Amino acid sequence: MKRNNIFFKVFNEESILIHWNDQVNLKLIDTIISYQKLIEQELSEVLIECVQSINSMMVIYDPNKINSEDLVNTLQKLNSSDVKVAKSEKKIWKIPVCYDLSFGIDLEDMSTLNSISVDEIIKIHSSTTYSVLSMGFLPGFLYLGVNDKKLYCERKDKPELNIKSGSIGIARDQTGIYPQDSPGGWKIIGRSPISFFNVNDKSPCFSKPGDKIKFQSISFSEFNKIEKRKNSYKIKYEVV
Amino acid sequence: MIKVLKEGLFSTIQDSGRFGYKNIGVPVSGAMDQTSAKLANLILGNDESAAVLEMTLLGPTLEFLNDIYISITGADMNPMVNKKKVLLNETLLIKKGDILYLANSSNGMRTYLGIRGGLNSEKILGSKSFYKGITKKEKLIKNDQIEFDLSISSPKKINQNFNDIKINRNSKIKVFKGPEFGCLDPISQDIIFNNEFTIGVNNRMAYNLVEIIENKIPSIVSSPLMPGTIQLTPSGRVIILCRDCQTTGGYPRILQLDKNSLDCLSQKVTGKKINFHLNESL
Repeated sequence: MKRNNIFFKVFNEESILIHWNDQVNLKLIDTIISYQKLIEQELSEVLIECVQSINSMMVIYDPNKINSEDLVNTLQKLNSSDVKVAKSEKKIWKIPVCYDLSFGIDLEDMSTLNSISVDEIIKIHSSTTYSVLSMGFLPGFLYLGVNDKKLYCERKDKPELNIKSGSIGIARDQTGIYPQDSPGGWKIIGRSPISFFNVNDKSPCFSKPGDKIKFQSISFSEFNKIEKRKNSYKIKYEVV
Repeated sequence: MIKVLKEGLFSTIQDSGRFGYKNIGVPVSGAMDQTSAKLANLILGNDESAAVLEMTLLGPTLEFLNDIYISITGADMNPMVNKKKVLLNETLLIKKGDILYLANSSNGMRTYLGIRGGLNSEKILGSKSFYKGITKKEKLIKNDQIEFDLSISSPKKINQNFNDIKINRNSKIKVFKGPEFGCLDPISQDIIFNNEFTIGVNNRMAYNLVEIIENKIPSIVSSPLMPGTIQLTPSGRVIILCRDCQTTGGYPRILQLDKNSLDCLSQKVTGKKINFHLNESL
């Protein structure tokens, strides 16, 4: 595997930043996620946690157990080794979304800006298979890519003060899901009635970077029906 | 049990932090001044990461409903038990019905109350540290009751000298170069290390500095952050991230505070001046 464009930087007393100088694309994200799994599998003794992004990863470790120099050496060796990551299931999660204009508050604005009908936006958005690129901003906020070019739009100049939990937003070539009420600058095109983050679960978020997501358009009445039983709603998925 | 009679300005339960969930966007949280929180625990013979009460600028008034050993560290809030002044950095025996008064902080910003055995609040995702959206409570309010473990009574005998743990509040703010430091022009690099900066608006998420540094660095793709990361926004604002900071961000990361300096910073109030010194130990 060609992995020449990788750089290691000692970030502080307990973390190493790994940066890839490659073009950001889905293949690079897969490379980073499988390297992360390898680190979690092989270095669990010294590792506290990894934080992944679309072209870098922070490795946070226990400095009482290993020094930074030894860790960088170990990470480099691991990167060029043949150790395999234990295979895990890849899932396509099916997320119900109601694209009603009362939820998709920016649909009409986007339709005008991008010279595309609201129906066309919904059709493209609900037929694209998205990848979970990374998580951050809020606990459980999913950054999903990549949008069709026709849906490309900039963030709002002035963020909204209260985006409702479950809102589906668009910013540039990414789609995002707001897991809780929050201020936010993404253009909102719909809302999902389900719960995306539960602190009482061992895995508080249903999905993780590397998974796939497909949105399924539902009616206003279906939205209300699902919302009533949101706490027991099991998100459907397909194994690929 | 402790009953909150007066809530003070902003008091939260904190421990050493919430680990293992940053990758799904959950901040690490934990005591802002880890050194003082650790000291509060070690004085009592607790595990150094036990949950303590972090009190900011103006402390609460607390009634103890059981006998318990406590310790108070960090900023001096002129602590009094009933009407009698008590010392910082000591084991104190509190009797049932005693009232602990904490006033305005005088030589720092955050005071820590350690309880023998640690505070016994709800543990969410491996930590008791308060954080909005994760724990039910964001801060303590009047009439709240905080539990502690009654089975642990007297502190362990400690033969440790704590002087090496006590934070030196006058110590320099030391920084490592951040990943995007090299993208700054030489003049800006020079400004950072040869000028005084003023603490502006601040909270557990971040400390803003008043001075502006011209920023010609383009935004980066959203990348991992750590408490102590110094970001430079497009408008030139300098932001020092703290314990409740988000896990990733798209502003250039020009500097990184070392751990001791982050503890020092968290005791600095609005208007204080700081200088950055390069830490070349990495």
